[in-house]
Amino acid sequence: MGIKLLALVLCFGTLHADARPISYSGGTTLMAFTEASKDSIYLHYSPTYQYSIGVEGINDHFLNQRYSHLRLTYLVNRKNTARSQRNLYLQTGVNPADLANHFYGVNGDWETRRWFTGFGYKETKNSLEDYTDQYVQVGVAPYLGEFGDLHTWLMLKTKKSSLEDEWSTFPVLKFFKGNLLIEFGYHEKTEWDAHIMYRF
Amino acid sequence: MKRLLALLMMTAGPSWADNHDHHMQHSHEGHVHETAVNGEALEVDSKRFDAFISDLSGVQIAVVSVNGMVCDFCARGIEKTFLKDSSVLKIDVDLNQGKVLVAYAQDVVVDFQDIERKILANGQNATGLQVVNL
Repeated sequence: MGIKLLALVLCFGTLHADARPISYSGGTTLMAFTEASKDSIYLHYSPTYQYSIGVEGINDHFLNQRYSHLRLTYLVNRKNTARSQRNLYLQTGVNPADLANHFYGVNGDWETRRWFTGFGYKETKNSLEDYTDQYVQVGVAPYLGEFGDLHTWLMLKTKKSSLEDEWSTFPVLKFFKGNLLIEFGYHEKTEWDAHIMYRF
Repeated sequence: MKRLLALLMMTAGPSWADNHDHHMQHSHEGHVHETAVNGEALEVDSKRFDAFISDLSGVQIAVVSVNGMVCDFCARGIEKTFLKDSSVLKIDVDLNQGKVLVAYAQDVVVDFQDIERKILANGQNATGLQVVNL
């Protein structure tokens, strides 16, 4: 596997983590995703709407290891208006069995019922090679569904890892209905990945 | 032919009047609840509101204005939080209007601070409240 492809699958891996990182107060969220670089199951609980704590089990194909991350996400700032919401989050995670394996980052978004924009920056440290990821994402809802309908988002995401020079841009499709959210991303080199989320 | 025409007109006349009365009655019902208890004009999607109250009577409806309620998935917690309250009979989320409709029994005191707390628990802000008695 070439270094560029390796970098690509690594940077592709943060697609899942930035979607709805905090639930409502007392809410629990279960996420699972699979992609070229790793598979993961992540369970988080939100004592308040301002932060979530969770544990993520990871099968890392790049490191060829299975490990867990204890994760914390904190809502630094939220601006609600009648037609929009803006968020800024800090997030971090650490492998309790190997503190050198950890990450931290910031991500934010602004959305209306029709439009979505988001960004993120993340630093990952591990025994093999440290790297950073950054992304920008935009999306549009082709129709405005009512509460309880199937909702659809068409998104475009562009990302860059410090392990490679190029930005990679790919489409993301997001669907949600009720408490279930499903997200697909596609890149010609890494092909499909999938992310599923259920909020209890 | 003239007799047939006259007969048709005579039979069609009452029929039109019945339909008209029915329409007026329906329309009247639609307007009964367009005023909150404080006399303000109710700020709701009237079709959605009528659908919400179609199986309710003898209750009071809280119409809550909410900021930040921009997506279905984000608003799920509002429904969950309110339905944990045993005094809540029914709830509806109107994403288009940014409104939450909550049905309470008549003997319940609708407390805006409690509603604000429940909305904030989901990360949004309640900005207004209107109450309608059915």
